[in-house]
Amino acid sequence: METQKRTPWRRWIVLVLMIAGFILGGIYAPVQPEITVAAEKLIEEPIVENFLGLGPFYLVNTLPTLFVTVFFIMLPLAWFAGRSLKKSQQTDLVPRGVGNVMEAILEMLYNMTESSAGVKWAKAIFPWFATIMVYVLVANLLKLLPGFESIGVLHPHGGEHAAELTGWQIYNAELSHDYILAPFFRGISVDLNFTLSLALISFFSIQVIGVRAQGLGYFSKFLNTKRMFKVPFFGAMDFLVGLLEIISELAKILSFTFRLFGNMFAGIVLVAVVASLLGKISILPAMIMMFELFVGLIQAFVFGMLTMVFMAMATQGHGDEEHAH
Amino acid sequence: MEGNILEAMRYVGAGLAMIGAAGAGVGIGLSVQGALGGMARNPDTYGNLLTNMILGVAFSESIAIYCLVIAFLMLFKVV
Repeated sequence: METQKRTPWRRWIVLVLMIAGFILGGIYAPVQPEITVAAEKLIEEPIVENFLGLGPFYLVNTLPTLFVTVFFIMLPLAWFAGRSLKKSQQTDLVPRGVGNVMEAILEMLYNMTESSAGVKWAKAIFPWFATIMVYVLVANLLKLLPGFESIGVLHPHGGEHAAELTGWQIYNAELSHDYILAPFFRGISVDLNFTLSLALISFFSIQVIGVRAQGLGYFSKFLNTKRMFKVPFFGAMDFLVGLLEIISELAKILSFTFRLFGNMFAGIVLVAVVASLLGKISILPAMIMMFELFVGLIQAFVFGMLTMVFMAMATQGHGDEEHAH
Repeated sequence: MEGNILEAMRYVGAGLAMIGAAGAGVGIGLSVQGALGGMARNPDTYGNLLTNMILGVAFSESIAIYCLVIAFLMLFKVV
C-alpha cells in the first residue's frame, strides 16, 4: 500500500499558539475572575420586572451560553446527524461525517444501557441517558473555550474613582481594584439553576419509568405495608425502611445537583486561585484547563450513568423476593 | 487586631465542614483499589468493572458533596 509520508505541520500550530499564549500572558495579566456562586448579571436592571409573578428576571451571563449551546451546537448537531443518516439510508447504508461519529457514540451508549438495564427496558431508558449525557458533555466542554469567563463588561465595585469607562479596555491590575468583570459567557454547568433543573428532570423521569414498569406497586417501595399484618414486627420495620427510602430518593436531587455544580465550580475556583498566585505566568492555568477537560468528561458520564442505573433499579421490583432464612 | 468574629467563625466552620471529605476520599480509594485488583486478575472484565467502579466512586463522592453543601451554606450566608 502506497502511503505518502505526511508532514505533520499542524502540530507546530499548537506549539506556536502555546508560546504566543505564554508571551501574551506575560504582557497582559490574565483576568482574575470574580468568584461568585450565582451567575453574574450583565445588566443591572431586570429585563422583566415581575416574571410570571415569581420575581424580577435578570439577564445573567449563563443565558447567552445556554442560547449558544442549544441553538448553535445541539440543534445543528442533531440536524446534521439526522441528514447524514438519512442520506446513508438512501445510498449504501454507510454513514459518513457527523452521522458516523454520532452513530458510534450512541451505539456505545446503547450497548452500555442494554448491559445494565436489560433488553426490555433499554429502549425506554436510553433516550434520557443519551440526551443528558451529550448535553452535559457539550456544556462542560464549551466552558473551556477561550473567551469564556474572560471577555465581558466591567461593573463598578465601589472604589473611590469608579468613573464610567467607555470603549475597549484590557484588564489590568489598576482596574481590578475598582471594577469587577462580569463575563459575557459563563459555562452553564457553573449555574445551580441548570444543574438543579437537570436533576429534577432526571428525578421525575426515574419515577415515571418506575411506574411504567411496576404500576402503582412502585410506590410500595416508599409506603411498605405488604407484610404489616402477617408479621407485625418485621412489617413495622419494613415501613420504617420505606420512610428512609423517601429521604434517600429526595437526596438524589441534592446529590445530582451539587455533584455537577461542585465539580465545575471547583474548576473555576482552581483556575482563579492558580492564576492569582502566579500572576503573569500563564502556563499553569492552561495545564489546569487540561485537567478540567478530564473532569468535565467524567462528570457528564457520571450524570448520565447514574440516571440510567437509577432507572434500571426502578424497573426492577425489590420487595418480591422470598426471604431464604 | 479587630474584626467581625462571626465573619471569621463562618470561614472556620466552612473549613471544618470539609473535613468530612476525607472519608469520601478513603471510600473512593478503596473502591478504585478493589476495581483495579479485579482488572489486574481478570482483564476481560475491564469494561464492566469500570462502569461499576465509576458508580461506586460517584456514590461515595456524594458524601463529600453533602459536606460541600454545608460549607457553601456557611460561606454564603444562605441560612
